[in-house]
Amino acid sequence: MTSLQQIIAITVMNMKGLRQRFWQSSAAILSIALVITVMVGFLSMADGFEKTVAGTGSDDVVIVLREGSLSELTSGFSLHQAKLLSTAPGVAKQNGEPLVSFELYVIVDLLKKSTGLSVNAPMRGIEQTSLKLRDNVKIIEGRMFEPGRNEIVVGHNAREQFAGLGLGEMISFGNSEWQVVGVFDAGGSVFESELWADAKMVQAFFNRGTSYQSVRMKLAGPESLQEIKNFAEADPQLNVEIKTEADYYAAQSKPITTLIRYIGYPLAFIMALGALAGALNTMYTSVLARMGEITTLRALGFGAFPSFVGILTESIVIAIFGSAIGLVLAYVFFDGMLVSTLNGASFTQAVFEFSVSAKLITHALALSVVIGFVGGFFPALRAARMPIADAFRITQT
Amino acid sequence: MTYFRLLRKNLTRKKLRLFLTIFSIFTAFLIFGILKTFDSALNAGIELAGADRLITSSKVSLIQPLPFSHYTKIKATEGVANVTHASWFGGYYQEPKNFIVSFAVDAQSYLEIYPEIFIPQDHQENFLANRQGVLVGEALAQQYNWKVGDTFPLISSIWTNQDGSRTWEFKVEGIFSDPEEKFDTRSLMFHYVYFNEGRTGARDTIGWLVIKTESPEVNEAVSKAIDEQFANSPNETKTDTEAAFGKAFLEQFGNIGLIITSIVGAAFFTILLIAGNTMVLAVRERTNEIAVMKTLGFANGRIFTLIILEALILVLLGGLPALGFSWVLIEALKGAVGGALPPMTLTPEIFLQAIAYMVLLGFVTGGLPAFNAVRINVAAALGRKAL
Repeated sequence: MTSLQQIIAITVMNMKGLRQRFWQSSAAILSIALVITVMVGFLSMADGFEKTVAGTGSDDVVIVLREGSLSELTSGFSLHQAKLLSTAPGVAKQNGEPLVSFELYVIVDLLKKSTGLSVNAPMRGIEQTSLKLRDNVKIIEGRMFEPGRNEIVVGHNAREQFAGLGLGEMISFGNSEWQVVGVFDAGGSVFESELWADAKMVQAFFNRGTSYQSVRMKLAGPESLQEIKNFAEADPQLNVEIKTEADYYAAQSKPITTLIRYIGYPLAFIMALGALAGALNTMYTSVLARMGEITTLRALGFGAFPSFVGILTESIVIAIFGSAIGLVLAYVFFDGMLVSTLNGASFTQAVFEFSVSAKLITHALALSVVIGFVGGFFPALRAARMPIADAFRITQT
Repeated sequence: MTYFRLLRKNLTRKKLRLFLTIFSIFTAFLIFGILKTFDSALNAGIELAGADRLITSSKVSLIQPLPFSHYTKIKATEGVANVTHASWFGGYYQEPKNFIVSFAVDAQSYLEIYPEIFIPQDHQENFLANRQGVLVGEALAQQYNWKVGDTFPLISSIWTNQDGSRTWEFKVEGIFSDPEEKFDTRSLMFHYVYFNEGRTGARDTIGWLVIKTESPEVNEAVSKAIDEQFANSPNETKTDTEAAFGKAFLEQFGNIGLIITSIVGAAFFTILLIAGNTMVLAVRERTNEIAVMKTLGFANGRIFTLIILEALILVLLGGLPALGFSWVLIEALKGAVGGALPPMTLTPEIFLQAIAYMVLLGFVTGGLPAFNAVRINVAAALGRKAL
C-alpha cells in the first residue's frame, strides 16, 4: 500500500470508529460546541452594537454641541446661536437655504417590554430639514408627524423594545399626550431606538423655551469642517464643539465598546484556552485508550505518518462537528435578538440586534480547525512516535 | 509508602493530563473571579439601598428637573421623617474624559439621610460652614491627590455660572469614606445654595429627592401620597423605594451585563463539567489497582479519603492560582477602564464563594469514583483485568 492509501484507510477506519466512540468523544464535542456558542453569541453582540451605535452618523454631517457637553443631552443653544451657526461658510445649501437642522434631545420614561421596568428612552425634536440630513430614514408604516401637532413617529427598534408605541396608540409624558402616527427605518442606525416629534412641540412640552440642544449641518466639501470650526472660533458668541456625526457616535459608544474590549474579549480568550485544554485531554485519553489498536496497525506495516494523519483528521473532524453544533445553537439563540442598553453619555437606551454574520461563522469554523489541529497534533505525534514494543507494554499495564 | 507519597504518585502519574486538567480548572475559576467581581460591581447600587429610603423624581424622566417647592411640600407629607434633594452637576476635571460623579445637595439633610457616609466631625463642621466647600470621596481624592484645604476647578457639562463660564471653584473641606464600601467614594458633593445662586439657567429647580420615611411599613403609603399630590400638575412625580430605583437603573444597562454574565457563567460550568469528567475517568482507569490495594488490606475509608483528597488537591491547584490571577487582572483592568465601569474589587465574599465551589467540585468529582471504588468487588475487578 502506498502512504496515501494507508492514510485513507486509517482515516476511514477512524471515522467509522468515531460512531462507536461517540460518547467518549462527546466531552470534546460538547466543550467545543459550548465555547463556540459562547464566543459567537458574545461576538454577535459586540458586532451588533458596533454596527448600530458606533456605526451611526455620516461623515459629511457635523454635529455642533455646546463646548464641553458630553452629549446632546447636556448641550444647549439659544435660537440666536443656532441661527448664527447656520450662516457659517462650508455649510451645504439647497435652493439657497443652508442644510441645517436644529434639534432637541430629551429623555422620556418608557417601559421595556421584556422586563416591564421603566427605562430612559430617547426622544428627539426635529424639523422638516432634519430628514434631509438623514438620507437613510424612511417611513415604513403610517406617515410623518405634522408640524404643530402632538404626534410622534417611532423608530422600528423602539417600537419592538418599548411598550405602548404601536401605530395609532396614545402615549403620555408627564401631562402631555402624543399619538404614534408612523414608524421609521433608519438603515440600522441608533436613530431607530428614538422617538421623533416636532421640535417646537418638544420645546413647548418640556419647558425648553426657544432653545435647542444640537445643530446638525451638512458639509459642502472636504474642507468645510475646518471652515466651520474657524468660523465658530472667531465668534465670541459661539462656545461650541464641532464633530462629524460619525465621530460623535463613535465616542458615545465608547464606554460599552471599552467594556466589550476589556472584559468580553479577554474572557472569550480564556474560555477558548479552557476548551482547548479540554479537547486536548479528551484526545489524549482517547488515543491512549486505543494505543493497542494503533500499535497493532503499525505492527501490521502501516506507517507512522499515516497513523499520525489519521488521528489528526479525527480530531479536526470532532472539532468541526462540535463547532457546527455550537454555531447552530448560537444562531438559534442569538441571531436577530433585539436588546437594549444604556448608552454612555447620552444616558439613553440604544436598541440593537445580535447578528451572527457570515464572517463570524467563518471565524468560528477556522478557530475550531485550530483547536482540532492543536488538540490532535500532540496525541497523534505521540502515538506515531512511540516504539511499537513500548506501546504494547503500555496497553498491557 | 506514606499516604502523602501515594497521593503524589497518583496525581502525577500522567503529568500532561494533570497539567491540562489543572489548566481547565484554572480558566474556569479565572472566569469566575472576574465575572463575579464585575457582577457585584454592577449590583453595588442595590446594596446601598436603605429600607426606609424613597426616591422621588420627575415622572417624565430622571433628568427632567422638579421645582424647589416640591421639597417643602414633600417635607410636610405624612409619614415623611426627613427629606433631602440633589441635582446632577455633570462635572469633569480639566478634560471630559475625567468625568466625575458630582452633585449639588442640601448638605445638612443629605448627610442625615445617608448616615453611611462617614466624615470626621471637624470636616463635617467645616463643610457645612463653607458655601463653596466640597466633600470629596476617599477614592476620588486619592485619584487626583486632593487634600483638605485644596481648591480646584470643576467644569460642568451642563451648568453655566454668572461669569458665563462653566468652570466652578471648590474648596475641599472634607473627605468622606464608607467603611462598608457601599457608597461610591469616587464621587463628590457640594452645596445646593452655592450651585443654585451661581447658575444662570433652571434656577430653583432640583434633580431628585431622597425621602426617609418613618418606617419601611409606610413606604407604600408615603410614595402614593407624594405622587398623588403632584398628579395632573405640570411636574408629576414618580416615587420608588431606593432599592427599586437602583434596580431600575441597573436594568438600564440591563441586557449587556446579563448577557455577559449568563453566557460566561455557562462557560464556567461547562469547563468544570469537562474537567470533572476527566477526573472521574482518571480514577476509573485505576479500578484494578484499587482492587489490589483492597486485597493488600487497605480499609475502605482510607481509599475513599485518598481519592477525595486527590480530587481536592487537583481542584485547589487550579483554582487558587486562578483567584490570585484574577485579582491581578482586575487591578490592571481598573486602570485601563477608568471611569467607564463601576468600581471593581475582588471581595473576600467572592473569594470564599469560589473556595466553596472548589471544595464542592472536589467532593463531587472525587466522591463519585471514590464511592465506586469502595464498592468494588475485588474478585470481579481483578477478573476484569484478566480478560
